[in-house]
Amino acid sequence: MRIPNIPLSFVTRHGSKAWPLGLTGAGMLIIGSLLSWSYDAQVLGNLSISFNPGGLQRLAIALALFAVVFLLASKGPLVRLGQWADTALGLRALATWTLLFMTLVVVAITVEAGGLINVQPGGWVSFLGAMVLFAASRLVMPTETRDLAEAVLPGWVEILVIVVIMAGLLFGAAYALSLDDAWAFVLFLVFVTGMAVAATRAGLLSWLGHVTARHKRVLILASFAVAFTFPLTQGGSDANMSIASQVLVFAAAAMGLNIVVGLAGLLDLGYIAFLGAGAYVGAALSTSGFATIGWKPPFIVVVLVAGCFSATLGLIIGSPTLRVNGDYLAIVTLGFGEIFRLTMFNLDGNNGPDLTHGPNGIPAIPDLSFGSFNFGDTHVLLGIPLARFSNYYFLLLLLMAFIIMVFHRLNTSRIGRGWVAIREDEKAAEAMGVNIFGLKILAFVIGAFLAGMAGAIKAHQDVSVTPDQYIFLESAFLLAAIVLGGMGTIVGVLVGAVILKLLPEKLRFFADYRLLLFGLLLVLMMRFRPEGLVASRRRQLEFHEEDEELAIRAEGDIAEKVQA
Amino acid sequence: MDTFIQQLINGLSLGSLYALIAVGYTVVYGILQLINFAHGEVFMIGAFGALTTSLVLFNGNTALWTLPVMIIGAVVASVTTAVLMERFAYRPLRNAPRLAPLITAIGVSVFLQELVRLNYNKVPFTSWNPFNLPDAKSRIPFPQIDVVTGPAIQVGGVTIQRAAIFTIGALVICSALLWYFINRTKMGRGMQAVSQDADTARLMGINVDRIIVVAFALGAVLAAVAGVAQGLQNNNIDFRMGFLAGLKAFTAAVIGGIGNVEGAVLGGLVLGVTEAMATQYIPGQFGGGPWKDVWAFVLLILVLVFRPQGLLGAKEVDRA
Repeated sequence: MRIPNIPLSFVTRHGSKAWPLGLTGAGMLIIGSLLSWSYDAQVLGNLSISFNPGGLQRLAIALALFAVVFLLASKGPLVRLGQWADTALGLRALATWTLLFMTLVVVAITVEAGGLINVQPGGWVSFLGAMVLFAASRLVMPTETRDLAEAVLPGWVEILVIVVIMAGLLFGAAYALSLDDAWAFVLFLVFVTGMAVAATRAGLLSWLGHVTARHKRVLILASFAVAFTFPLTQGGSDANMSIASQVLVFAAAAMGLNIVVGLAGLLDLGYIAFLGAGAYVGAALSTSGFATIGWKPPFIVVVLVAGCFSATLGLIIGSPTLRVNGDYLAIVTLGFGEIFRLTMFNLDGNNGPDLTHGPNGIPAIPDLSFGSFNFGDTHVLLGIPLARFSNYYFLLLLLMAFIIMVFHRLNTSRIGRGWVAIREDEKAAEAMGVNIFGLKILAFVIGAFLAGMAGAIKAHQDVSVTPDQYIFLESAFLLAAIVLGGMGTIVGVLVGAVILKLLPEKLRFFADYRLLLFGLLLVLMMRFRPEGLVASRRRQLEFHEEDEELAIRAEGDIAEKVQA
Repeated sequence: MDTFIQQLINGLSLGSLYALIAVGYTVVYGILQLINFAHGEVFMIGAFGALTTSLVLFNGNTALWTLPVMIIGAVVASVTTAVLMERFAYRPLRNAPRLAPLITAIGVSVFLQELVRLNYNKVPFTSWNPFNLPDAKSRIPFPQIDVVTGPAIQVGGVTIQRAAIFTIGALVICSALLWYFINRTKMGRGMQAVSQDADTARLMGINVDRIIVVAFALGAVLAAVAGVAQGLQNNNIDFRMGFLAGLKAFTAAVIGGIGNVEGAVLGGLVLGVTEAMATQYIPGQFGGGPWKDVWAFVLLILVLVFRPQGLLGAKEVDRA
């Protein structure tokens, strides 16, 4: 989103007016939000009552307050913050997104309630406020800022910041999932994106990067605490937990693929087959009445067998193709994905041994149970009932932690550096004595193994396994999650997976256009931000080789890591 | 013996289809080292272009003289798609890491499929359908043109479908024209030069950008012909037809030696015949129709193991 700049002469002449203008805009936004926005009380939650702001009105107030902080930091009591944060850039981004937010609110009320007439004066005041704020933000002059790496707060304050942000994430996620209205959900997304973009532009996010680098343990602990407490915010409802556990399966598979694509740079277009292989092993060895194999080992063994089975398939498919050009690998894995699906489709007793019941798949897979803990039952924790999907959610979270650990340990090891070397220049790596073929196979097999494990759990969670769950499009979705989030990063891929899996669940009104937009998104992403939403500096550099400034910053990052 | 000849002819007609599509992969790959994953969709759009031409201009008339017009319609649709795709999706990524254009290609492929599925019979975001076109969400019957379709021809114990003759004939004519274009015209020789060494070709005054566009268009022309042939052979077309056909055609291009135009034609025929023979001669439960796609991909893997440069490709030392 790039808006043409106003001529510098105009800005210098009127720059002094930015500050009062901005405060006026923010004030109008807040006042408008306290008044009624909509005549119709049924639209977007209830926005029709004055002096009792509804959810979206509170979001507008939050945006305005954030803008006030920026304004006061550029001139006023918070000026010390202004030395560090780039308030002008932050304010510009924030004002742009706020205007978008308010425009969408007006559009949403018009569309939903049937006519512009339904927008109450409060809505117009807020909308005007957003426009004034936008105008003011274009007049703010950028200032010199100091290096954020030097901005060190006392240790406990920094930890507190991490905890507060994590708590914000938790409640934000719970709030987002509770929004049933598609418009409200979109507006919430606009709000979150606007806040994030503004924070990034102002440099707050890179400061946060420095803080989390200093307190890595706290961050990891806090993230898992948030993930584990998430089911408790649902008040016993299993509907959202069903979505959440599907997101986790998807994210686990995406993280496994991230090892193959993101770290080793091998494009695998048939990855879903490894997940499917694991799921079929899990189903065939389960106690379902339709299971086709007589052996019923405990689930731990099944998970390992599923992983090993997938890994073996990976070895079979990888060993011939990894010797040749990487492009072939993409197509051969694509072919392999199709072979897998067709084989599962065909092994129905007529066209081969009856292992999978063909297109019908293996249904009625029973819930897991460890000892007396059955995953199908509802358990009560802290007075909050946790039903079936919550149980699977916890199990998948453990798997996720394991996969992230494997990912992280590999990435920072000798092996990981070997992969980076291969990814960037295979010839040079080989000349330096990196075992190219061995490392590629290793990446491929580890990725397959992890997917197999996830698949075995997925089989139980989904109750049935059929071939049509493992079509090519699913592989493309996994790949898209990685590309969207940021190849080779942990946070990025998690973000990508959540976005790609959650959005279709929440935005059913454009269900028909989902794939169209998905294709377009891939193309635009590769065109404008190939490194993904959350990109590691090194990755960014791979895609923008000519960017000198970026190279210097990337070097700074490495230096910081060495010191730490 | 009759069954053998029968399967050979089935294989050749299937293989001709693969060969026509495979040329598009191989030409683009030879110049850009890019797997144009969306080429299968160009083929699909060619078939829809022909269908649209027939429905809009001739109201589904099946006289033989409409066929050339349908082919022109198919070619226009395919070439437009391919050229736009090159211009807006691939050209901006000319110098990006290799993963980027491949992912773009997947995106383009999904986008085009969905575009046809959702918007074939209506102007986007409206329900306005000026030409009363059918809904593309399910299979659409393809006009069965007189003479080139109809009762099969019996030669001894062998049944030859008329559409098969059309497909094989189309391949023969297209290959001849293609050979002439590549070896005897200035543009074709420019294309060869660019595929050997783009930088040197540029220094010799060849407009590389234009050559690339021509390569995409050339592939699209053949894919459009293949789209018409597919419609005549199968009696119907749908928006998904490009995926598997594209995959098979790429396999054919690899089997023949990617980057090599003769190889693509040969690879297509070999793949088609292999599939037909596997259907007939692999005994037991793993033979027959349901497994033929599997055997095609097994052939691809075998070729990559034992002869990665393909049947006609020269041994290459460096293609990392």
